[in-house]
Order: sequence, then structure tokens, then C-alpha cells
Amino acid sequence: MLRFALTRIVMAIPTLLIVAVSVFVLIRLIPGDPASLMLGDLATPASLADLRARLGLDQSLPVQFAIWFGNLLKGDLGISISSQQPILPLIVSRFWVSAQIVLVAVLLASLVAVPAGLIAAWKQDSGLDIGLVALATLLLSIPTFWLGLLLLLFFGLKLGWLPVVGYVSIGDDPWRGLLYLVMPIMTLFLHEIGVLLRMARASTLEVLRLDYITHARAKGLSEMAVLWRHAFKNAFGPTWTLIGLVLGNLLGGIAVVETVFTIPGLGRLLVDSIFARDYPVIQGCMLFIAFTYVLVNLVIDLCYPLFDPRVTAQ
Amino acid sequence: MNRLLAGACLLPLLAGPALAQSLTVAVQADVRSINPGVNRDDGTDDFVLQMVEGLVGYDEGGTPQPLLAEKVDISADGKTYTFTLRQGVKFHNGAQLTSTDVLWNWTRYMDPKTDWRCTSEFDGRSGLKVESVEAPDARTVVMKIDKPNALFLDTLARTDCAMTAIIHKDSLKADGSFDKPIGTGPFKLGEWKRGEYFTMSAFEGYASPKTDGKIDGYVGSKRPLVKDVKFLVVKDPATITAGLTSGAIDLSEVLASDVQELRKQPKLEVVTAATAVRQVLLIQTRDAVMGNLKLRQAIAAALDMDEVVAAASDNLGQTNTSPIYSRSAYFGPVEKQGLKYDPARAKKLLAEAGYKGEKISILANKRPRVPSFPAAVVVQAMLQSAGINAEIEVLDWATQLDRYNKGNYQMQSFSFSARFDPAIAFEQFAGNKDKQPRKVWDNPDALAKIDRLMTLSDRAERQKLVDELHKQVIEDVPLIFMFNGVDAIAHSKRVKGFQPWQSKLRMWEVTAN
Repeated sequence: MLRFALTRIVMAIPTLLIVAVSVFVLIRLIPGDPASLMLGDLATPASLADLRARLGLDQSLPVQFAIWFGNLLKGDLGISISSQQPILPLIVSRFWVSAQIVLVAVLLASLVAVPAGLIAAWKQDSGLDIGLVALATLLLSIPTFWLGLLLLLFFGLKLGWLPVVGYVSIGDDPWRGLLYLVMPIMTLFLHEIGVLLRMARASTLEVLRLDYITHARAKGLSEMAVLWRHAFKNAFGPTWTLIGLVLGNLLGGIAVVETVFTIPGLGRLLVDSIFARDYPVIQGCMLFIAFTYVLVNLVIDLCYPLFDPRVTAQ
Repeated sequence: MNRLLAGACLLPLLAGPALAQSLTVAVQADVRSINPGVNRDDGTDDFVLQMVEGLVGYDEGGTPQPLLAEKVDISADGKTYTFTLRQGVKFHNGAQLTSTDVLWNWTRYMDPKTDWRCTSEFDGRSGLKVESVEAPDARTVVMKIDKPNALFLDTLARTDCAMTAIIHKDSLKADGSFDKPIGTGPFKLGEWKRGEYFTMSAFEGYASPKTDGKIDGYVGSKRPLVKDVKFLVVKDPATITAGLTSGAIDLSEVLASDVQELRKQPKLEVVTAATAVRQVLLIQTRDAVMGNLKLRQAIAAALDMDEVVAAASDNLGQTNTSPIYSRSAYFGPVEKQGLKYDPARAKKLLAEAGYKGEKISILANKRPRVPSFPAAVVVQAMLQSAGINAEIEVLDWATQLDRYNKGNYQMQSFSFSARFDPAIAFEQFAGNKDKQPRKVWDNPDALAKIDRLMTLSDRAERQKLVDELHKQVIEDVPLIFMFNGVDAIAHSKRVKGFQPWQSKLRMWEVTAN
């Protein structure tokens, strides 16, 4: 198991290298640079030259890459052009903000969507099934920014139960921090229910049509036993994979939700950095996101044997 | 059960916003730094200039006036400026302001290691050179420049130069790196939580230039009347509206399109004011199509500017087709006479130009608080109805700015940042295109007049030159001025005394019930 995990991590290195090179090159292919953005229409040739020199943008691209990559090998992602902060601590602090929302939302969504999908498949074509599928489609179709605004209007403005703007870290004040996280979590939770429920239902339907399920029923097993012991374990594989993909995707940043609820997370950092052409932060964020994605999917793969003994690390 | 749940949720919120004499202000972006004039943007300048001050600062009309100085004497040859410091001015740490502090700051600013944004404005590279700065006594500072320059005080007062702020030397750490601004402004730095908020609190020892309660740019009455102010970073306009409605936010800039709706809310007040930002249509005169003067004049004549402005500013803006800001002292009868909408003339000029339907691309961006795109849409429609084949190309701001800097466009719907002095207002877009491709007007006669305006001090002479340049730019049509920017600020009715000015959220003389 350990060897498998290490192999997977080593295999990720070429991926991360490709990400590093392509992000470095691609972001510089986009017109505009941070120096001219910082000075705007106030720029004079002298002030622009000063700032470019200070930011190291006056050096050739290969030299810039060599410096950045050399620092990267030492674990130093550099300094943000906008905020002049070291990038790695900045990314890590923003990541934890996003992660606490994403992990809770996906966990809750999985706990609701997977059993609901199982039941919908079990009761296929019934009113319950149609209702659940319709609800899932509806939740999936609503853009997260709009769903967020609806929640904000209802729970924040109409009922006045939850704060509409601002952010308090759970570390600073657990209760208030929790209140500020309720709506972002609820937004993601509702959206991901739609995604996961449809997958859980579809994969369960496939399994329920297989012969061994008919055999289990013919043996006289209760429907609960058929569903839980025989159908669920086999049907959960594709949903589990999807949970991994969703987690990897969301942990890379939930910029829209973070913007609506003024959450200082990783997604907002990345989007702001792109608009500001803050090259080192963009590069650092993209590498971090790629690494997170690889790591999450590794964990997902390592967990397969827990519910499907046919899958082994080998 | 429901009541219990609601009560439990509400309890912590009751202690949240709206403490008496404390204000929560929403801003679109975090500050870049707290080091005056270093790693800055407009929002950063706005926050920093509540805490620091310079020898001179802008008044409401954009003219530099004494601030930390009590008076400024200019020698007959226009090269020596003598600043007499106000008495009783203290830094936030209680130290008295003296001319030694001014000398120390000047040395620091001119040191390239400081990375001050405006070093190149004073070391001769941009035409102005400060040759010496002396402190003959504790209250006097003498600055000598290499040649007469009408813009010296204006440059010292510029907000992007952080007003050439005088800070106490304890603002630096022992190793010489910047720590925090210990200035002389009405507010002291509070807490800065990056990406979330920044705060400031009233400086009780503040010596206001005036105490009559009348706000005048950066110089009038500047008493800090609220205990503290929290600037909360909120990017989404819809969230800002929700925050204002719920009372979690006391004051914020809002979208022009939200003004009518917010005015209906009983607990809110919305104030608007024109700024010195100028919304323009830039034209690349070196383009094969746009190089045709008759075509440019036809475009100008085809635009019903009042309609353009009404649509692009949600009826908040006023037409101003002059490079001179509408509240400037130089905005006189000549400047009020601008472009005229004349479809018949446009048709005639198009025929004379030999225009054969060539495509004209208008670049625009969709930044929410900038009317670049809505203005481009209305302009495009009017040009099309006049028979001009106009198209819009939407870009992100960084890309549009890059195209502007390289002169790579036919037309752009663009915003020029605030420029008060007419010489700089013209210089902003006029110059040698070979050296600076971003410049749009390279008429040699106009450039000579602008150079003269830079050095000329006589008010009447300057007005004459401004009038001539205004007429010339209308005739040459290297760009089309449409209207001045509009600040739209919504605030709770518990907030009193706030006055919008040049997109600055000045918190002095503001009270909260």
C-alpha cells in the first residue's frame, strides 16, 4: 500500500512539471503585465521601467523561469507582486478557508445524496424517484452564485438569522465563524447533492439489473439486505470516484461562492491574481491545485478496497 | 423550536455590526500595502491618505494648497519654494512635526531602495528635478528646482505619490524596512487582516488645518469624529446591496444601475457626484482607416452625446466633451462649447472622407464600475445608424490596457484617471507617439502649447492656452471626451456628513448615530 502511494506521488512529478512550465508560459502569453496594471494610465516610461526592474520583469523569460524554478526546487514559491507576501503561507492560509467549506459540504452532500440515489433507483419510476430526480436536476441547474444570493436574501435579509457579509475565522471565534460558513456550505451542499444523487442512482440502477441481485432476492433476502449488502457496495464505486473528482475540483477553489459570501479562500485569491497578472501567485496556486488534485484522487484510490475487496492496491 | 433556533443564531450577531461611533465601509479590494506611495493603487492611496499628509494637498477643485505647511512662498524666478510648517502638528506617536522630518522623508523618497512610485517625477527623468532640500530652521523647508515648473506643487500633492507624505522615522523598523505609517493624519492605523478587512481609529491629537466643519478636498476641516472605521473587502455588488440593506455595511460605493433601487430604501441615502475621471473614446490616428480626419470628424458629429451619457451612466452623468474636468476652475465658457450632434454634417463628412464601409473596432471592457462597455454599445448603435460599420471587441482590463499602451487599436472606450491641472490633463493623452505609443494626440503645435502650459504660472495666460487647446482637440478629434465619472455612494441614514469626492471615501467630519 505504502509503495503504491509513493509510486503514485512520484508519478505526479512529471504532471506537476508540465503544469509548472505551461502555466509559466501561458500566463505570459496573455497580453498585459502587472507593472502596467499597477500604474494604469499614470505610467510614464521611467516609472514603468523602474517598476518592471523592481519586479524582475525586465529580465528575459528563460532567466525569469530559471530563477522561479530554482526557488521552487527549494520549496519557495516566491513573493506576491500585489501583496508582497510569501506565496506558500498565503496559499495555505487561503486553502484552509476553502477546504473547511468544501469538505463539510461534500461530506453532507454525500451522506444525503448516496442513500437518496439508492432509494430512487430502488423505487425506479415511482413518484419518489421522479421527485428526487427532478429535485437533483433542479439543484444541478441552478448556478451557485444565484443559489448563494437566494440563500443570502432569505436567511440573511428576510429572516435575519445569518450574517450577510464578512468573514470570521473559526479559529478566532468558533461560533461566529460557524455562522459565517453556514450559507457557503449550504450553497455547495445543495449543488453537489444534485451531482452525486444522479450518479448514485444511475450506478445503483445498473447493479440492480445484474443477475446476482436477482439471485439474492430469489434466496429470500430482505430488500434492505439486498440493497445494503449487495447493491450498495458495488454501486458505490462510480459515486466514490465522482466524489474524488468533485473534491479535487472544489478544493482548487470555489471562487464564485467565495465572492458572493466574501470568503477569503483560494479561489478568490486565484481569480484576483489573474486579473492583477500576479504571475508568481497564479503559478503557485496552479501548482498547489494540481498537487491537491493528485493527492485527493490518490486517497480516493487507496480507499477503494475498503468497500470493494476486488480492488487492491496492486 | 424555530424561535429558539432563530434566537440562538441572532445572539452573536447583536454584538456584531453597528457599535455607536464605529462605521463599516465596504470596499472592492484589499489595500496593496500601507507604505505611502509604494506598491499602491487608488484604493490603497485612499486608505493611506486618511493616516498621512503632505506639505500640500488638493482642495476640492484639485488645486494644491498648504496642508502640513502653513504657507508656501515661491521666489520670483519660480525655482525656490519655501514651506513654513504649521505649528502644533503631531505624529500619531506624539512627536512634534519639524523640518528635520521633512528632510528625512525626502531623502528616503529619493532613495531608489524605497521604491516610491514618484521618484522619477522629481529626479529629472520626467522633466522636473529637485536640486536641493534644506531646513534652515525647525519650521522652514526650502526646496529648489532646476527650472520653473507650474506643476511642482501639483506633483507633490498627487494622490498616487501619496501626497509625498511626511511620516515619522519610527515608521521604519530597526533594519530600515517599512513597519507601519506613523503619520499626522486624522486617523491611525488599526488592524489589517489581508484579504478580509483593514481598520483605522481616530487620532485624538490631530491638528486639523481648519475646524469649521467644511470639507475641502484634502485640506479643509478634517476632524475625526467617529471612533473607528472598518473597511470590509466585498467584491460582489449584490452582496454589498444586501449588506447595506441589512445594516451590516454603513457605507459603500454602489453601481450606477443600483442607484434608483437603493434610493427607495427608507434606511439608506444615496449621494452622487462627478469626478475628474474622464470617459473617452480613444482613436488611433495612425490606423489606416482612422487616420482620415474627415472620418473622425464624422464620427464626432454622429454622436448624440447627451443620449450616450444618459445611457452609459444610468442618467447620473453630465455631458462634458472637454479634456477639462467640469468642476475645474479652468472649465469656462469655451470648454462648455464642445462637440455638436449633427447627423447631416456627419453624412457630408463621411462622403468627403471617402468612407466605404470599412470595419471599425471599438475595444471595451466589462469592469462593473466602469461604463466602458455600456458607452461602447450606445456609440456603436449611433455610428451604425450613421452608416459607419462599427463593432465592439470586449477584452479584460489588463489586455485592453496593454493594447492602449502599445497603441494597438482603432477605437477604445476608455477611462482616464483624475487629472486636475489642465497641463497634466492634456499631457495625459498628448505626446510623441514614436516614443510613447499610448499617446493619442501628436499635433506639434498642440504639444508646444502644452509644454508652455507646464511652466506658465499666470492664471489668465494659462486659461487662454487651455481654451486654444480645447478648440484644437475638438477640431483634430484624436479622441472624444464624453463625460466625467460619477461617484455613487449609498450609506445608512445614521451616517452624517459624508461627501463623495473623487472616489475617495474621506471619513473625517463624518459622524454616526
